[in-house]
Parts: sequence; structure tokens; C-alpha cells
Amino acid sequence: MSKVKNWQLNREMEYAYDEHRPKRQWAVVFDLNKCIACQTCTLACKTTWTSGKGQEYMFWNNVETKPYGSYPLAWDVRVLEKLGSQEWKKGAAYSGKTIFEAAEPTERAVHFHPKDEDWMYPNHGEDDCLGNVTGGSHITLPHDKWFFYLPRMCAHCTYPACLAACPRKAIYKREEDGIVVIDQSRCKGYGECVRACPYKKSMYNAHTRISEKCIGCFPAIEKGFQPMCVQNCIGKIRIMGFINPPWKARKNNPIDYLVHVKQIALPYYPHLGLEPNLYYVPPVHAGMDYITQMFGPNAEDAVARYRKLRDDPVAQGLLVLMGGTDRIIDSFEVKDGLVYGYDEKGAEIISVPLTEPLVERAAYDEKLSAVRNNTP
Amino acid sequence: MKTIWIKSISLCAVLCIGGIIETALGAPLMASRVVGVDTTKLFMNDDIWNKAREESVVLMAQPMVIPRPATTTTALLKVRAVHDGKWIAFLLKWTDAEKSEAGRLGQFSDGVAIEFPVKDNNAPPPVFMGVKDNPVHIFQWRAQYQLDKERGMRTIADLYPNMSVDMYPMEFKDPGKLSGLTEEKRDMFSSGKAAGNPQSYAKKKGVEEIFAEGFGTSAVSASVEAAADGRWADGEWSVVIARPLKRENGSILDVGKSSYVGFAVWQGGKDEVGARKSVTMSWLPIQVVAQ
Repeated sequence: MSKVKNWQLNREMEYAYDEHRPKRQWAVVFDLNKCIACQTCTLACKTTWTSGKGQEYMFWNNVETKPYGSYPLAWDVRVLEKLGSQEWKKGAAYSGKTIFEAAEPTERAVHFHPKDEDWMYPNHGEDDCLGNVTGGSHITLPHDKWFFYLPRMCAHCTYPACLAACPRKAIYKREEDGIVVIDQSRCKGYGECVRACPYKKSMYNAHTRISEKCIGCFPAIEKGFQPMCVQNCIGKIRIMGFINPPWKARKNNPIDYLVHVKQIALPYYPHLGLEPNLYYVPPVHAGMDYITQMFGPNAEDAVARYRKLRDDPVAQGLLVLMGGTDRIIDSFEVKDGLVYGYDEKGAEIISVPLTEPLVERAAYDEKLSAVRNNTP
Repeated sequence: MKTIWIKSISLCAVLCIGGIIETALGAPLMASRVVGVDTTKLFMNDDIWNKAREESVVLMAQPMVIPRPATTTTALLKVRAVHDGKWIAFLLKWTDAEKSEAGRLGQFSDGVAIEFPVKDNNAPPPVFMGVKDNPVHIFQWRAQYQLDKERGMRTIADLYPNMSVDMYPMEFKDPGKLSGLTEEKRDMFSSGKAAGNPQSYAKKKGVEEIFAEGFGTSAVSASVEAAADGRWADGEWSVVIARPLKRENGSILDVGKSSYVGFAVWQGGKDEVGARKSVTMSWLPIQVVAQ
């Protein structure tokens, strides 16, 4: 085992290989306050990558309702249960154990192994809220019954458990973008990655008898485009880019800004120790205990900062930039009421007004002598 | 058997402490000479197998590579060997309460493997998968491959008969003008097949040949000269693996001379696959008897 730096935990941790950060690291930020679980991302991925034999059950990208939804069944609860209760005080380094540190000497990671039944209910728990709405309840705002949608795919972790567990060394992390891929010519279907990945984003293909996973849409990335799940997000809740570790954070990089500068986007289940590269703006309405368990001790602060975004034109500008272009935005700036996105060469890709012009129409149209209404 | 057990333990101690590679001594496995090893009928008549002395080989949970089994699943492998001057066949038997043939998600196959040194039959490399520039030659049979041999690869419809699917890429009820849609063209949508991964194609001989030069380096050979056949009955697997004595670019056994073998067993029903296996802790000597 090697000692590696995990900035999400603010400490060193044990991992199977030495620390080696790629030249660039693929990352996606999601605003969970905007996700409506339309599953357009899921279908964009499905039709692009997993329409073949043996992939019938596969959703490299899925959206599940939290707290009760899960795909595969109870993946999060089962991993958390196996790892057990751990301590993480706000403002301090994570004092608990990661799945690598808590592993038995015979294993790379604390894990559970899903069976095929576990993959059969991708929509299980959909729209189920926490708690019962009893006869006496009525809606108050903010209401005490909540759920939220969690879109997720492979997090192309800095310290992937799948890669650590593969005895054939068939999994590698691409130097150019940090995307983690399973070598389809080398994998022998041992399923060690399926067992070890706590997020359960490696999947076994019974037709090809080897394992597969999200490839981060690397053919698109190589051409400067965002992944299909991001391009097709109709709620414009996602943005893909390249994240730097905090000591190299660049203020005009959209991902660095949301994660490191503004600190409103947090990795999910960071305490598992993989340094996952999916970052979420936590939902403002969900139970804080749950949000803290999922996003760590800084969740409450992130929610508070998000609530104040209307006073921050730069962050606001970045949020309206999300979903505005299919291209990867390398840098952004806000000036004169507009937000601009630039590519790596500094060429403008897109500009969006911070606030759309508001047009108010009279209720009565004098010219047509007709009452306007908003019923189509 | 007792002898091999004791020497295995002591060798393990040596290996773990100093990394010194030795070979187990003890009674060698005798490959008796018979007439006509028939690769199309591997379960040869009992008379032939009775000419070979049965050796009991002690296996232990693979100890070197993580992930590994926490306990030994298969402690004993019974081995007989015969040869006819051109082919050598091994009859391998072990206890396994359930037959596991893999197929569906999260299922693994029973299996057995035999390992030989490639470069020097008198000074073999480390028994645990060889070492760089000093490879080992492995013959692995799996219950899954046995099914491949008998019935061809199982389809998704075989594995999940109640599944419904709208359509697969390039599979049209009425192909119209799109003629010539062969299985090979459709396989382009299956990454394992498109990448030419041998695991994604039927193992027509029930066995595969593998070369390895250390942990995590094993590579499946494109050509398979060996043959294998397996049967499960009353809680016991019986598997015959036959190989030519001389394998071009591989391991070579000479009549009248000795070499070394190693064995491994997987119990799929106990989630054993890959590095999760029971293995011989040291090389076992084998004598290819002249007469």
C-alpha cells in the first residue's frame, strides 16, 4: 500500500498504487436543485453506448430518487453499512477509515457484490419521499417531507477502487483526461471491479463475458465536446470540464470555481476515499443529516452559499452558462451583464446574458381585441 | 500426501520470508506410458487410468495477490497422469458440492488449471505465475468453457429467458435493403468481441492456454493445442486435460525425463475467480515415464 494525498479528506490515505495525477482530470458538476429526473441523460447514454447484447440492464448513467431510490439495489446503504459508522468533524481532516483502509487483509476494499436481481429495478423508490404524509399534514414551506434526484455515472475517481482491485491490471486511468477505462481486450470478467467499486459503476456483460463501464464519452472529450449525458441535459443542470486539485485551482475554470473557489459543489460520499470527480450542488430542501452523510461536513455551508448566489454575479453567471454549449468550457468571465465561455485557446464559445430580458405583455390585446391568457 | 503437505508449508515459509524459490522434492507424479491418448475421447477407459498412480495434491488459498480467498476452499486435488509418447493427459478430481457454470451476473465458474515451466524444466521460475523473461505455461479448464464446447456460447436469451428487449443494433425483422448483416458485423456493437477478446468467444476445446510472466501478466494464447473434458457427479468434478508433450513456443516435456507442475482449483459457487483460488504452494515434480 502507498500513502497518497486525498484533498477531499484533507489528509493522506492508503491506496494500492502511488499517487499519480493525470495531466487533466475529467469532472462533472451537477446542480441537484434543478434535476427533474427526466432521464434524458440516461437515455442519451443508453442509446450511445449500451444498446448491445449483454447491456440490456446497464445504465452507465442513471438518475435515482434519494433517499429511497438506488441502482443497483441499496448500493449506497450496503457499502455504508459495511464500512460502519465513521467520524468527520467540520473543519478537520476525515478521522474515519476509507474503504481501502478498512478492508480485510485479503481484500482491496470494503465491498459488497451485487447479484443480478439487484440490477433489475433501476426505478425502485422513484419519487418516494422521506416520511409518511399523515392525515393531519398540510404543506408548509419549507416542508418536512422531501426527496431529491441524484443523477450519477462513473466518477472517474482519482483513486479508483475498480483499478486497485483488478488483479489483471486491465483497468487504467488515461493520462490525458483522467478517464478510467476497462481494457476490453484484456479484461477477463473476474468482476473484481464490480465488487470493489462502492458506487457500483462497473458492470458485467454476460454476452461478452467481461466487464464494462462508463468511458466518460472520451471520443467526444478528445474533440473538445462534453459527454452525451451533459450535452443532452434538458434541465441544464450539468457542466463537464477539467478539475484541478485545490493547490492548482484556477479561478476562471468553471469546475475549479464551483468546487474550490465558491465551494458550492461537493463530491458524493467522499469519505469512501476514492476522490470521486462528480461534484454536486446539494439540494437546499433535503434533510441536513442525510445531505451531510452524502456530501460530508461542508454540506450545510454549501447550501447556505447557494442560497446567497443571487448576490454574486460571477457564480450566477457560471450557473447560467451550464447547459449553454456542447463544447468544453476551459475558462469563463462575467462582464457587462454577460457571461462568456472560452475554449483552451481563449476563443469565445458562447455568451449568455446573466438575466434574460423581461417582457411584460398587457392582459388585453388592443389590436386584436382579445384577452391574452397563458393557456396554450 | 503427507510429505508434500509438509514441504509445501516449509516452502511457503521460505518464500514469504526470503523470496527464495525452490522446488518441492518428495515423490514425483508419475506419468505412466499407455497406448493411444485419444483427444476425442478423453475419459479413456479405466484400464488406462488404472495404470497411473493417483497422487493427492494439497492446495491452499492463494496467498500472494490481493484480492485473495480468506480460507482454503479446495484442500485436495487427486491427480493421475498418462502419456503415449506424443500426448500427456491428466485426470483431475476434487470435491465440489455444487456445479457452477457461470453465465448470469455475479456467477462464477468452477475450474482447474495446470501450470508448467517454459524455459528450463530443471530450474523453474516462481510457481506463482512465473517471472519476467521466465514464463509459465498454463492450461485452464472451466465448467463455463465445457458448456462452450458442448453447446456453444450461451446467449442472453438462454441466460435470461424471461427478459424482453425491443431490438438490438442492426437486428431488424425486415432488413430491407440492408443485406449482409452478419453476426460479425453485429458484434461490432459488443466491445469485448469487437476488441477480439478471447474471453468473448466460445472456447471450443473447453480449455485455454495461457502464458504469464508474473502477477497480472497472464495472456491467453490465440492458438489452443490442448483438449479437455469435464464431468460433475455426486459432488465431485472429474476433468481430463490433455496436451501435446511438445508445445511449440511453449512448455516441453521429454519422455524419460522429469519436469515440474503446479495446480489451481476454483469453486465458482463460492465466488472464486481469478486470483481467488486454491493453489499448490510449490512446484511438484513430474516424471514422464519411458516405459
